[in-house]
Amino acid sequence: MSNYNECILVVEDDIQIQNFICYALKNEGFRYITAGTGEGALNKLVSEPVDIMLLDLGLPDFDGMEVLKKVREWSEMPIIVVSARDQDKEKASALDGGADDYLTKPFSATELMARIRVALRHLYKQGNHIPQVVLSVGGLQIDFDKRLVYLDAKEVHITPMEYNLLSLLFRNIGKVLTTGSIIKEVWGIGYGTDTQALRALMAALRRKIEKNPAKPRYIITEIGVGYRLVDE
Amino acid sequence: MTEQSNSNLQENVHRILLMVVIFVAASGVGYIFRYVDFPDTNIVVIYLLAVLITAWLTRSFAFGFIASILATFSFNYFFAEPLFTFSVNDPNYIITFITMTVTALVTSTLTSHSKRSALAAQEKEAETKAIYNLTNHLTAAKDIHDIAGIAIFAISDCFSCKAACLCFDENGLPEQTFIQQAAKEKRIRREVTNAQEIKCQLEGIRTGFEIGTEFYDWPIYGRESILGIIRIPKEKAQIMNESQTRLLRSMIESTALAMDRFRSVEQRMQSREEIVKERYRANLLRAISHDLRTPLSGIIGTSEMLMDMTEANDPRHALAGNIQKDANWLHSLVENILNLTRLQDGKLALKKEMEAVEEVIGGAINHIAGRSPEYEIEVNVPDDLLLVPMDAKLIEQVIINLLDNAIRHTKPGNEICITVEPAADTNTVKFVIRDRGTGIRESDLPYIFQIFYAVHAKHTDSGSGIGLGLAICETIVKAHGGDIEAHNRMDGPGSEFIFTLPMEGNRK
Repeated sequence: MSNYNECILVVEDDIQIQNFICYALKNEGFRYITAGTGEGALNKLVSEPVDIMLLDLGLPDFDGMEVLKKVREWSEMPIIVVSARDQDKEKASALDGGADDYLTKPFSATELMARIRVALRHLYKQGNHIPQVVLSVGGLQIDFDKRLVYLDAKEVHITPMEYNLLSLLFRNIGKVLTTGSIIKEVWGIGYGTDTQALRALMAALRRKIEKNPAKPRYIITEIGVGYRLVDE
Repeated sequence: MTEQSNSNLQENVHRILLMVVIFVAASGVGYIFRYVDFPDTNIVVIYLLAVLITAWLTRSFAFGFIASILATFSFNYFFAEPLFTFSVNDPNYIITFITMTVTALVTSTLTSHSKRSALAAQEKEAETKAIYNLTNHLTAAKDIHDIAGIAIFAISDCFSCKAACLCFDENGLPEQTFIQQAAKEKRIRREVTNAQEIKCQLEGIRTGFEIGTEFYDWPIYGRESILGIIRIPKEKAQIMNESQTRLLRSMIESTALAMDRFRSVEQRMQSREEIVKERYRANLLRAISHDLRTPLSGIIGTSEMLMDMTEANDPRHALAGNIQKDANWLHSLVENILNLTRLQDGKLALKKEMEAVEEVIGGAINHIAGRSPEYEIEVNVPDDLLLVPMDAKLIEQVIINLLDNAIRHTKPGNEICITVEPAADTNTVKFVIRDRGTGIRESDLPYIFQIFYAVHAKHTDSGSGIGLGLAICETIVKAHGGDIEAHNRMDGPGSEFIFTLPMEGNRK
């Protein structure tokens, strides 16, 4: 009873977690294959058509970061890192190392499915090369052509810098962008890692698009890591 | 100093006597020569020989010079006609006198110079040997006191006195006792009476020595601090000449090098040990967090699936729900314990950065909303962006814990609100979390932030309240240099938790 044609590779050494993830995937109607080691994961990747990978960083044979690096040498497939490591630095390095998303254990099945759906949408976008001119999330809409932003169908006046930031988030909708990568994209390489300017810019942008900046609906802060534009 | 000039005087008297004896002898030989009718030239040569011997024995330019003049006048007085006067009949003698004086001067100067160089070389050699012996022994030393012992042995041997050494410890403070060479193979430890005084005195001087009641103290300078002092008994130190002082300095320098080397080896070993410990601790924390999170993941996920598989009115649904709730609670406990161990160790400095208050609160609320969606939390933050130096992850934990606490004591639908306002007068930011719950009993108030103090005894067995969360809040806030307090609300039921964070004057 597959609702989806995509195949998901679950790389996880803990058998209980593997069972739970697989059950959740089956419940949603996904096809999946599993691997318990990094070696096994790489073997499965070359022998079977895999669309999305769920990758645990703590593998028995070698570090999940190595798998991530190897896969990124030849594939752009969405990779969601699942890890019990809760260090911001590791999260950031996994994201900057090419992971599309990061889930910290323990997580709920609902959370996992939401992330997989976001990844799927990215997968479709990759296949479909026609760039979309208008994107929207809830009442927030961006027009890349005219460089305009609308909130609830009303135009929002935003500065060029704010537009750059928002369009970057829209281009990576649903993905966590690390503060380091945002600074590099918006301010350019060589600006350093001073996050204060980004925080100020983000605050200014939020005041224009969020009802309450402390309870954001669109741009979520991942403390210590970066920002994410929600994707419904 | 008077003793030294005394000894100089004595030596000079010796030299004068020596010179007189030599010249008397030379004059005697001269008379014999005259008696057997040798030519005058031989007598001149005898006088030159006398000058040479004087210069050799006295090793002094001055005496060489005096001897040269004396030789000429003696010859003139005793052997040139008219005898026993300083006048001459034959003007040819004038030439003889001049030649004689010049020759005597040149030879005496050369002689005393070569004699001096030989002596200096000998002295140098002795010095080098002493220092070589010292450094040779120092390399075999086992610890600082061993080094001190070897040094005072060598110094005592070299200067034939009972030298002593007072070592300073790692903190640069003098030890209680010092080591003194008592006899050839015997060292004793003696109490230091005025250790602090010695230290203060030494700080004033950079070179040279300090004069005490019993000893002269020479500091041993290490690369960073004074490592100790070498003490030379007063009676010996007073009569030391310049070259001896120089030798002593060199020996002290060698000792300082050895002590320095020893200290740095010690330090390196210590820091290596610390690194190993730190790595071990980090690995342990990592393993714990990994090993606890992974099974929790399974429990939470599986119970969630079970809830999905059953109807809401099925008793199994409620059971699965309980499993999930408890697992969630266990999860927050794990997070808190990990944060606490990280903090209480004290070594891990806070990763303070300028963070936007609204983002940290947003993160905490996002976290709570995932767990307790039935609660609506009101947020009031200032319109202006507020950047506060903090470790965002830890402050997020504080807010989560306080909101968790509020939720535990408040029914859904009742007010829970969080307010942030800058307090310009104290240069701090105030976070207030209010609820309309049951409030805190007055008797519990003083203990509320204590570890493992469970508020409301009846709750302890319901699995939702060892007071760890609040204790962690206090630890984190204090570590930031802030304050936390709790009290009941004045405007009706409910409690109020207030914590402040300093702005550190980075912003107005």
